[in-house]
Amino acid sequence: MKRSQRIGLAVATAAAISLVIAGCSGSSTDSATGTKASPITLTFWGSYGNGGNSTQQDALNKTLIPAFEKANPGITVKYVDIAYDSLLQKLTTSAAGGQLPDLVRADLGWVPQFAQLGVLAPLSDTMSDYKTLAAADYPGSVATNLYKGKYYGLPLDTNTRVLITSQAALDKAGVSAPPKTFADLEAMGAKLKGTGVDLFADSGLGAWNISPWIWSGGGDITNADETKATGYLNSPQNVQTIQMLVDLYKEKLIPNLITGNQGATGTSDGLPKTQYATIFDGPWMAGIWGGQYPAFKPIYSPIPAGAGGSISVVGGEDIVQTASSTHAAAAQKFIRFTQSEQFQIAMAKTGQMTVQPALADQQAQIAAYYSVYSDQLKTAKSRVASPNQSKIDTVLSTSLTPAFLGKTSVSAALDGAASQIDALLAGS
Amino acid sequence: MDRATGPVPVARSRRPRSSATPYLFLLPGVAIFVIAIIWPALQAFRMSFYHWQIMAGAISQWIGVDNYVRAFRDPAFWLSLSNSGIYMLATVIPQMAIGLFIAVLLKRRSPSQPLFRVLYYLPVITSWVVVSLLFKYLFADRGLVNFTLHDFLHLMHSDVSWLSERGTALIVICLLGIWKGVGWSMMIYLAALQGVPESLEEAALVDGAGPWQRFRAVTLPAINPATVFLSVMLVIGGLNVFASVELVTGGGPVGQTDVVLSYMYTQAFRYLDFGYGSAIAVILAVLVFVLAVLQLRITRDRGEELA
Repeated sequence: MKRSQRIGLAVATAAAISLVIAGCSGSSTDSATGTKASPITLTFWGSYGNGGNSTQQDALNKTLIPAFEKANPGITVKYVDIAYDSLLQKLTTSAAGGQLPDLVRADLGWVPQFAQLGVLAPLSDTMSDYKTLAAADYPGSVATNLYKGKYYGLPLDTNTRVLITSQAALDKAGVSAPPKTFADLEAMGAKLKGTGVDLFADSGLGAWNISPWIWSGGGDITNADETKATGYLNSPQNVQTIQMLVDLYKEKLIPNLITGNQGATGTSDGLPKTQYATIFDGPWMAGIWGGQYPAFKPIYSPIPAGAGGSISVVGGEDIVQTASSTHAAAAQKFIRFTQSEQFQIAMAKTGQMTVQPALADQQAQIAAYYSVYSDQLKTAKSRVASPNQSKIDTVLSTSLTPAFLGKTSVSAALDGAASQIDALLAGS
Repeated sequence: MDRATGPVPVARSRRPRSSATPYLFLLPGVAIFVIAIIWPALQAFRMSFYHWQIMAGAISQWIGVDNYVRAFRDPAFWLSLSNSGIYMLATVIPQMAIGLFIAVLLKRRSPSQPLFRVLYYLPVITSWVVVSLLFKYLFADRGLVNFTLHDFLHLMHSDVSWLSERGTALIVICLLGIWKGVGWSMMIYLAALQGVPESLEEAALVDGAGPWQRFRAVTLPAINPATVFLSVMLVIGGLNVFASVELVTGGGPVGQTDVVLSYMYTQAFRYLDFGYGSAIAVILAVLVFVLAVLQLRITRDRGEELA
């Protein structure tokens, strides 16, 4: 009898658990059918509100989305703001759970990674006007959407890094203008010795950090097809460029922030405090300094030119549509809307740079420093479009850090990095 | 069981209870435990044998023990394991020793005792995020610690970049762990100390034992269960260190301070390599389990010897 009771109890427990589980899944199917019956609702995930920035979300929610909904009756867009730091994890878990939104404003580095997983719809196949839309954007930005011959998104906003200089540091060095070339930079470094001001600071040695140096120095990271790094990353030009940085580091003109010291002063504080003379950074810094250091007047200028000219790295976000979206046509309408002048200029006013060179002049009217960025973008290049992009970043920083610390030579560090990146490119 | 049902025979005779009743009360808790802990753990165990595809409905490739072999050949995994081990070794004993010391001091009733209890316990209930950022700022190049040691007390020739090297960064993380954990050890010991029979202490006093002898021969054996409990819990907690490392150094510089869980997190959520991440998690779980069983067995054997 006791035994049968126990079995009965086990059955009851199993039933209860399955009821709970069924309850969870049951409710989600209900809501899915519910949205089908009503007018189409597009869900759009992004991180416009990151850092408590309400102006970008307001522009989207109060101006742009209502304008789109008015022009497209029957479609409503629900924007969900997710903090940048948790967006990748949320996308990952949602992909695993099959609960993705229709549209995502994705960091451009994530696009190949998610394209490889099959999460994204190949817009170059599914949108008949993709080529026309893409032709209006900066080529470097469009290239970030490429994975295995197909494009999985369109640029939504862009940015790049330019040289930002502190006037107080120029005064201390007795120099009249920010360095225009590598040679100017080294000369300025010699003058800053002993002043307690570091010549240049950056927060790491990943591709975002060192690509502008490598490209401006006349080198490259991979071949044009992005299938091989050996012979490119470890080229004599790159050895020379990186050696210049290593020498500056050894002369204590570049602080150990670059080799991963989490305790060093960040670039956003170090520049206005005249601890650092120059940094590379993006257009969002103006907003940060405006609030924290209202008296600070940063000087924006192109990346110092080396043998390869002045070439920076493309950043920004792409808009992508998930493969699981059941409203592909409506989602594509919204994607087209993001490429309109109305959308691009409204977002430029909130600090998101336009992806269309034709709008650059109009954008420069909003803030003068934008023109430095849009000029730099004309030649800026995108990082390797690989699902392994974050692993490539890790390889670059783990290989180059020992060279900065004097534990290995620059050429040995680049040889090692190149062969590891070869494997990552082949693997993808 | 007998002891628990002992005091309520009256209720029992009034309303006959089926033997399923206790299980029904257990059901909600067990259900949550199974759904939120056992099920995901089993899933992770399963994932560790696959080249796991995260997409719903995607077919993952069975690769047997490849993820485990990869871990044992991965120098970064061994580095992270040694960092977790160093953290565990460097934090468990100080937490227990300092916790016990403070508990003994606070055992005596005094008007200030509740205040000190709260002060020592405060770090325990404060968020890891807050205290980790606090330590990061304290040990920054231009932080308060450098200012005090260099500019104020002149104990150092120059500022130390605490977070720029593995050794010094681990010191900071361990100090944080000890500082935050001492209050908890203190609370457990305080409770245990209050359970030491006064008659034993008095008997030892009558026998002419000094304060140290009384502590060693009476108090310590009496609070042995608390010591065993603390050491097991702290070893488990030490090997599972994550939040402080992620927030103070992010595993940096270049992975030098990665611990097992931060390395696992990077593999799973940054590289989306869930199979490998799961294998690392399983290895850690097995290690923790084996250590806990060993600890319990050793302390139990010793306890029997003493008895």
